[in-house]
This record gives sequence, C-alpha cells and structure tokens, in this order.
Amino acid sequence: CHTSRMATPKGKELAQNLPREELTHLILRLLQAWNEPLSHFNQHMEHHQELSDDSLSKAKQISNMVHELKTGVEKSMGIISNSLNGMASSEAAGLSISNEANLMSDSDFIHCFRRDSNKVQSYLRILKCRIMPENSC
Amino acid sequence: MKQRFISSVQIISLLSLTTVCLSGQSFPGKPKIIRCRSLEKETFSCWWKPGSDGGLPTNYSLFYSKDSEEKIYECPDYRTSGPNSCYFDKKHTNHRTTYNITVMATNEIGSNSSDPQYVDVTCIVQPDSPVDLSLETKTAAGITYLCAKWFPPPLANVSSNWHAYHYELRLKPEEEEEWETIPVGVQTQYEVMRLNAGLKYGVQVRCMLDCGEWSEWSPERQIQIPSGQSPPEKPAIIKCRSPEKETFTCWWKPGSDGGHPTNYTLLYSKEGEEQIYECPDYRTAGPNSCYFDKKHTSFWTIYNITVKATNKMGSNISDPHYVDVTYIVQPDPPVNVTLELKKPINRKPYLVLTWFPPPLADVRSGWLTLEYELRLKPEEGEEWETIFVGQQTQYKMFSLNPGKKYIVQIHCKPDHHGSWSEWSSEKYIQIPSDFRVKDMIVWIIVGVLSSFICLIMSWTMVLKGYRMIAFILPPVPGPKIKGIDTHLLETGKSEELLSALDCHGFPPTSDCEELLIEYLEVEDSEDQQLMQSHNNGHPSKNTQMTSKETDSDSGRGSCDSPSLLSEKCRESRTLPSKLPAQDVRDVHENNAGKRGWETQCMASSEEKALPFNTAGTKSSTWPAAQLPNIHPSIFAYHSTVDAHKITLSTTNVSVAPVLEGNEEKHQSQYFTTETLCEENLEKQREMENMHSKNDQSTIQVKQNRLNEKSSFLNAKLMDYVEVHKVRQDEEPAVLLKHKENSGKIEKYTVPGTSKEYTKVSTVVDHNILVLMPESRAQHTPVSQEPAKETSQNLQQGQVEKNMSYCLTAPNECKREASGSEYMDPSSFMPAFK
Repeated sequence: CHTSRMATPKGKELAQNLPREELTHLILRLLQAWNEPLSHFNQHMEHHQELSDDSLSKAKQISNMVHELKTGVEKSMGIISNSLNGMASSEAAGLSISNEANLMSDSDFIHCFRRDSNKVQSYLRILKCRIMPENSC
Repeated sequence: MKQRFISSVQIISLLSLTTVCLSGQSFPGKPKIIRCRSLEKETFSCWWKPGSDGGLPTNYSLFYSKDSEEKIYECPDYRTSGPNSCYFDKKHTNHRTTYNITVMATNEIGSNSSDPQYVDVTCIVQPDSPVDLSLETKTAAGITYLCAKWFPPPLANVSSNWHAYHYELRLKPEEEEEWETIPVGVQTQYEVMRLNAGLKYGVQVRCMLDCGEWSEWSPERQIQIPSGQSPPEKPAIIKCRSPEKETFTCWWKPGSDGGHPTNYTLLYSKEGEEQIYECPDYRTAGPNSCYFDKKHTSFWTIYNITVKATNKMGSNISDPHYVDVTYIVQPDPPVNVTLELKKPINRKPYLVLTWFPPPLADVRSGWLTLEYELRLKPEEGEEWETIFVGQQTQYKMFSLNPGKKYIVQIHCKPDHHGSWSEWSSEKYIQIPSDFRVKDMIVWIIVGVLSSFICLIMSWTMVLKGYRMIAFILPPVPGPKIKGIDTHLLETGKSEELLSALDCHGFPPTSDCEELLIEYLEVEDSEDQQLMQSHNNGHPSKNTQMTSKETDSDSGRGSCDSPSLLSEKCRESRTLPSKLPAQDVRDVHENNAGKRGWETQCMASSEEKALPFNTAGTKSSTWPAAQLPNIHPSIFAYHSTVDAHKITLSTTNVSVAPVLEGNEEKHQSQYFTTETLCEENLEKQREMENMHSKNDQSTIQVKQNRLNEKSSFLNAKLMDYVEVHKVRQDEEPAVLLKHKENSGKIEKYTVPGTSKEYTKVSTVVDHNILVLMPESRAQHTPVSQEPAKETSQNLQQGQVEKNMSYCLTAPNECKREASGSEYMDPSSFMPAFK
C-alpha cells in the first residue's frame, strides 16, 4: 500500500498516546493520501467497464465521502492554516504516493483502502471518545 | 483224510492257475478311480487307472448314480478329457449331489469293477481365492500389529451354506524368498505380530472348502511396517481469534507424531518484515496454542504464521496462515444482563433489558465499538426472534404477553468486520399478569347485565311468544268472503268454487251483452301492444298481461266467464289504466279495506297491476302456480248498478302499515281489477290489491300489483264493500262503505245504486272504481277521476308509474258490462303466464 510508509500507530496504546493534534493530522494525511487515488480509480473503472453500474456509483460515493470526511475533520478540529503548511510539504510526497497508488492492482488497491479506512475510523473514534467521552463511549 | 483233501484242492487250483497262466487270458483287473476334478464348476471329469487287462482287450465303462437314487447312468463322454476319463458336461453336472461312481472293466472273459467312489461335485470344485484383502498396521503400546482382512470368494451358482471356508495366510518380507504360512481357520481377519519394523511385507491368503481343495493364492498385498521413527505429520492451524482487539491467540491441530514425542513451534513474520519470530507464549491459551500479547500484536499488518512439528526423525511444517488481527475480532458475550419492569402511569408496563459489554472490550476509549443483538422466544416456543439493537446497551420490550415466560439472550460483535460472540446465558423473563380489578369488575357487570337481559327476553318469549310475534310481524289477513272456503279454492276446481261462491251463470250469460253498450272499444292490437309493452316493461310481473283480457272480461267478462287468461279477455284489452293502487292494503285483519272486486279478467287487473308493481318484486306476478292457491274470495263484488265512476278511495283502506304486518300467507294484494265493463264502468277500480305477503313495506304499491300472485287472498280478507252512495254527477262515483272502519271513502254517487253491493269492475287510477252497473241505464262514460285521497296512499313511487300506464288505458279500455259478478278464479290461472 502506498500509505504503508506513513508512520501510523499500530496499536491502541500507541494511538492513545498520540496527542490530539498529531492524531488529527495523521487522519487528515491519510484522507488526503486517498483523495486522488480514489478519483483516479474511478476513472480507471469507468474505462474498464468491468464493474456494474452499482459498483461504479458506489465507488464515486466513497470517494466523495472521503473528501467530505476530510473537510469535516478539518472543520471540526479547527484546522485551517496549519494544515496548509503541512499540506504543502506533504503534497509533494502526496504526488509520489499517488503515483505509487496508480501502479497498484485493483485488488490491492481495494485491500489497502479497506485497511486505511479502518485505521481512520479507529483513530477518529479514539479522538471522539477523548473529546466527548459521554457520547456512547 | 484232511490232508489228502487239502492237498487235492491245492493240486486242482494249481492246475487251474497254470492253465490260466499258460493260456494268458483272464478277466481284467480292477480299475481304480484316481480322481475327479472340476475345472470350472460347471463340469467335472473323473480319471481312473485301469488294472491289468488280463491279456484281452478290455472295455472300460463308468457307471454312476446320483445321491441315493437307484438309477444308474453311464458316462456321457469318454473322450473329452482323454483316455480313461469321463467328462461330465454341464447337463450332467449337478451340484449338491453326490455321485456314486464305479468303473467297470470288461473283457471276453469277465469283468471287474472298481470300488465305488463318492463324489460331491461341490467338493471337487476348486474355489476362487478370497477377495478384498486389506492390510493395516496398528501401533499399540509400542508394538506394531499387522491387521489383515479379507472376504470370501463370491459365489456364483454354488451356495456353500453347508460348507465352510477355511483360510490360510502367508506372508514374507519383501526381500526374502520364503513364505510363512499361517492357518487362520474360518475367520476372515487376522493379526500378525512379530513383525520387523521398517520392513515391507507381502501378504496373500487362500481358502478351501472343508471337503475340497485349496484355492489359489489371492493377489499379493504389501504393507510397510512403520518403523516407529518417522517425522511427524504436518500440523494444521485451526483459527486465530482476538477477543478484545488487543491481543490474539492462534490454535493448531497436530498430526500424528510418528512414534516419537514431537515438539511444536509456531513461527511468524509480519508484513513488510523479513524477520521470523517465534510464538511468545505457548501456555496461556492452553495446549496447541499460541498467545500474542499486546506487545506482540500489531494491527493493520498481516501476520504470516506457521507451525512446525519436530521429532527425532525430522520435522514437518504446516501451511502458512495469513491473518490481520483487525478482522479476527470475536468478543466475549455481554455480561450483567438485567431486567427491570417499568410501570408507567396510564400505560402498559414494559420491560427494560440492560447489559454491559464484555469486560475486556475497551469500549470506553472508542477503540472497539460493539453492536448488540438479542434474541427472544417464549419458553415453550421453538423459534427465536432476533432483534438487532445496535450500539445501545439497553432495550425496551413492550410487546410481551403478560403471564408468559420468555427466554432472552444477547450477543455482540465489533462494528466492523469481525464475528459474533457467543450468546450470553439465558435469561428468563416473566411479566406479571396484572389483572386490573377495575377491568374485571366492568366485565363482570357487563356479563351479569347481559345475562339478565337474555333471561328476560327468553321469558317474555316463552310466555308471550305468540303475541310478541304477532306484535312484531302482524299477520296478513286473508280474504273474508262469505261462502268461500279457502281450502276449496286452493284445491278445488273452478266449478266447485263457483258453486261455493254461488255463482250463477258461469260463464256469464248474455246479460252482459247489455252492458256492452258504450263500452270503449279497445283495439286488440293496441291492447296487445299495450299489453306487450306492459309485458316488456314488467316481464316478470306481467303474467298479468293477460289482464287485458280481463278487461274484456269484465265487461262481458262475466259473460265470457273469463279467465283472465282467456282469449276473450284478451280481445278487449282495456286497460284500465288507472289502476288504483293501493287501497286495499289494509286488507289484513279486518280487511276493511278489501274491496274485493272481482276482476273479471284478472288480466286486466293484472295489467293494471303491472304498473303497480311495487317494490317488491316479490310476489311478482301471479305465478301460475299460485293461482290455485289463490284464495278465492277475493272478490267482493259490489253489485254496482250504475257504475259510473266509482272512485274508491282506497286510501282509506289505509293501506300501508297494516299490511305489512300480516304475514301469513301472502296476502297478495288482490286487486281485482275488473275488467272494465264498458257499459258502466268507466273507471275501474282496482280490486284489492293482492297483498303480497312479502314483507314489503310499500303498501300500496303492492296492491297495485296486478301481478301479485295470489291476488286472491284469503277469503276472509275479501270482503264486500258496501256501496254507500253513488254519485251521479259528472263524476259518478261510488262510495263504498267499508265494513270496518278503515279509511275514508270517497263518496261518489252511483246512480241507481239501490243495492248495497256493487260489483266493481275495475279500478282505475287507483282511486277510481269502476263498478259494474246493475242497471244498464247508466253508462257513464268512463272518466277518470283521480282520487285525491288515494293518491297519497297509493303509491309510492311505483304506483305512479303504474298509473301512467293506466291513464292511457282507460281510453282504450273497453268497458264491458260485466255481467258476471263473479270472478272466476280459474280464469286467473291462465291469465298468469
């Protein structure tokens, strides 16, 4: 996976030990890393016409969701300017990452996406329960 | 002496022997049967060895007998099997029989026979070898056995029920030459010990019938004796599970250990790394397992896990197992399942089920999110009802039946890829059936009241049943005609009826003819058309179409003794269009109202009736069948002297309600429509309407129905109506007095009415009675005067329609003086068609 290189905590304690901002950044970086590969994947799928229409629409939906999620996280965490700086440097890295993503096979792509989405979900949950512990935590 | 005797004998025998020897010829020697063999079980052969032939050519013949039969057969075939043999082919070979065989050698001098040989064909057959030989090695207590199993040869035609197979086994190690033979007996399996481990052995087995020969050896089977020192079998990894998404455990299943204690090691590597690690903990999770604690558990990485089995002889590695811990989470079941019964005010009580996530799962930090599902079933039930609850840890149950016992269980799973936990232990629920006292009291009161009411009702029914019934459903009065016997009418013939009615002149005499003056001539065609139109309009009801005939009849109907149906009637189809409807209704009971008018031609009346069909079709027309039933008496005739127009306000009859009540027999309204007697009758007055019993409420209407079936009601219902007055104005009318009070009667003067009774020939317009004038003096033109009074009663709706018909009719109606005052009931019959 193209995101394998990112240093993400691989366990609960590790994730909990991360300070909030760092975790947030991490999440955002992950999401960012997937934005472009997803859209690229969609185009790729359309051309190939292997998948049914349902799958295609689903894929589009997913990439939209990722984008929205990213925006949402940014907004909710009040991160605006900081991310810009962060983003600038990571964009370059992002490009190369995207390139890598393009080289993956479809099944690997999906596998990696599944894993990373699970990661993001877990991190977000940890964040949520840290910030708002009363909410079903 | 003795000695001399003996010596002489000796000399003689010597001499004879010498003679024999010198001659060189003697009887043959005794042959000997060597053996008998069966090669294919279907046939067999016997060979013998000849004895000396005594110097002369000897003939050998074989004789045999079967079992204990006495018949002796000779050998069928001496050639096939060679010299000195006998071949028994299929035909001659019987299994299960014992052959007694002897060979006889014959030459010129004499013969000699061998000893008999008993041959059982089954025994001489060589059996097939045993089949399906299987070998197995077993190791027990350090000793290895070889277990050999086989099956007896399949039998073709021979059943060896009484023959048992004996078996023999032989084996030898692969490299050696000599076989070791072991007798086995009758069993089909055998265990061999004393085998050298590590060697390969070959095994064979053969069998024999107790009386026969050994079979050939079965094909050789080989087996390797385990040396007890082999590397272990490959283990296999069963599953890996994480209970709380922080640690995980893997279990494996060992293979056979190859005879030596085997060691198992688990090795793993992580995705992206090349280093191989060994399981950190073999104990915590039990035998044949490996427990990875928190430190060694990484998420979102794929582990490559293998198990290695090692023993003295070698090692064996299992297939690799790839696992990502994120997806193998299976939590423990929820705990602390509690029930609470809540009883809100003004609402049904409900149950709240609460539980806690399993202790190990860290839900608080959000690391692991669980979803719950519970299942429910009544205690005696069989199927569970599964309810998905989501992430909440409580559930409210509203829909349980009070008093019943339920079993509930909960389980959970991580919200993303993972598996469901086990079900929690069963929890029993029972909602106390609470019985509100209030409700019960209400029900009790209701029950008591209703039973009370029922009692009362039944009492009243019992005591005053009849009256009640009468009250509710008043009986329909029958016609009251004196002198008419209803039964007679029903059953009797017209003559009888008429005689009963004291009719004279049936058919009517020529008196009628006088009445013919000034009758309206109604054209047949018109009439008929009219009739037909009527008919069309009211097909069902118009049996009375024939009523037209009655018109004619009424005029001279009596003359003609019209039957309504009679053709004569038809001719004059005067339709007294105005058929007063109603009126008579009240016939019932006191029938005051009945005016029976005879309708000369019923038909006419019927015709009129047609339009009047009231609501109920019910009675429909006069069914022909009914005619006989018609109670005669309907006609009350009034003898009208000069009938001008007699308007009868039938209304007074009141109609309505009364009639209904009468059930009884159909009171058909009888309207007797008289046929118009042209002479006087201008109007026809409708005779009673038949009351039809049908519970119609429309009173009048019914009456008008000419069609009514039993127009003729009970005699009792019919009544004479006294003519009160006859008005001889421009609107002559006849006033009929009701015998019984009933309504008002319009008064009309009828000129010349001296008599009390007037025969009404027809009823027109519902209100207008056309009476038949006794004296022909007056012929009043038929005019119609609608009776006002009647109008109301009359109809109701339908009647009016009917009226319309009638209205036209009168013009066409013929008036006929009805000479006969009597209506011939039988005439009605045909009228109704």
